[in-house]
Amino acid sequence: MSEILFYLGAVMIIIGGICDLFGAIGLLRFPNFYVRLHAATVGTIGGAVVPLFGVALLALGADFLPHRYAIAGASFITGIIVLLAAPAGATALAYAAHKARLVEWKPKVDHLAEVRGDD
Amino acid sequence: MKRWVTLILLLTAVITLAYVFQVPQPEDVKPLGEFYLENSYFGDYSAKSPEVITSILWDYRGIDTLFETAVFFLAIIGSLTVFRLTKEQEKEVKTEPTQVEPLPLPIRTVTKVIVAMILAVSASIALHGHLTPGGGFQGGSALAVAPLLIIAAYSKYALEKNGLDKTRALILRSIGLLGIALVALVPLLSGSYIMQNQPVFPAEINGQLIGGSLIYYNFFEFLAVGAGFTAVFLLLAIPEEKFKKILGVRR
Repeated sequence: MSEILFYLGAVMIIIGGICDLFGAIGLLRFPNFYVRLHAATVGTIGGAVVPLFGVALLALGADFLPHRYAIAGASFITGIIVLLAAPAGATALAYAAHKARLVEWKPKVDHLAEVRGDD
Repeated sequence: MKRWVTLILLLTAVITLAYVFQVPQPEDVKPLGEFYLENSYFGDYSAKSPEVITSILWDYRGIDTLFETAVFFLAIIGSLTVFRLTKEQEKEVKTEPTQVEPLPLPIRTVTKVIVAMILAVSASIALHGHLTPGGGFQGGSALAVAPLLIIAAYSKYALEKNGLDKTRALILRSIGLLGIALVALVPLLSGSYIMQNQPVFPAEINGQLIGGSLIYYNFFEFLAVGAGFTAVFLLLAIPEEKFKKILGVRR
């Protein structure tokens, strides 16, 4: 049981590292603010939440670790908080940038306009 | 290419240095440390707080901490003075502009959840100040994030409508300051020194470790810092247009 938890947690931490790398590359290479914001969110959700859950699983599986339930609980709760806060923050940033017309707006596809056009 | 070489050189240098110069491990406790441990954790007249740093900060270097706190409050009083307004101007600042579009729903909902969490976490930081690293100032700073988030996600008017305006924040802050002063002065009554914990306040209540005066200091500092920051944030959240109107700046 503890081995399954260990491998699951390790895989999640590795996924986190990969997501962080992709997020960083995207942040440097993507063309405009909105897509870069997407890359940043990949970095926070994939690169912080997933490894935090991984750490929680690892801690649960490690029998030798003192206070392992505390560590697992804290990681899990922190993960959930980041999971809630990161999309809200990204939404707020995108909304503000769009509202203030600070960023050039050249969508290839505009679903919102399509939906509004149907109304 | 040159940049890569520099980067790799730097990284190698840092890693080598970190490997070669390892931090020396202390072999035994120094005499001064022993004295502090004896008088803040062991011993009959101690606060029995396992968080010795808080104990030393508030009891052995209490005057120092008091003046640090005083600097913080002077900063707050200074900003309040810069933003002082007449009664009509206060009213003007508090009236909500009508055509304000609220932020998208997810932001507001998440803010509600996170504000509740922040309140719990900050109270935990402050009230465990005598047990774990942390304490009143840290807890208060965390507490001040809650109104800041509400200001960002809703508006300062939402905060004021729910009863937390500048005056209330200042009253709370004064209560905190008064509490700190009273807790500092109580030992004088029984012939001890000012701001000294031992042995005036009980270290335990019902078998629950409270660290003598530390929990009172932490609680009042928590209140004072949180409310002080909130007052300043409320002032800083006043829209620029209103100030331009008040100051008579032409567009």
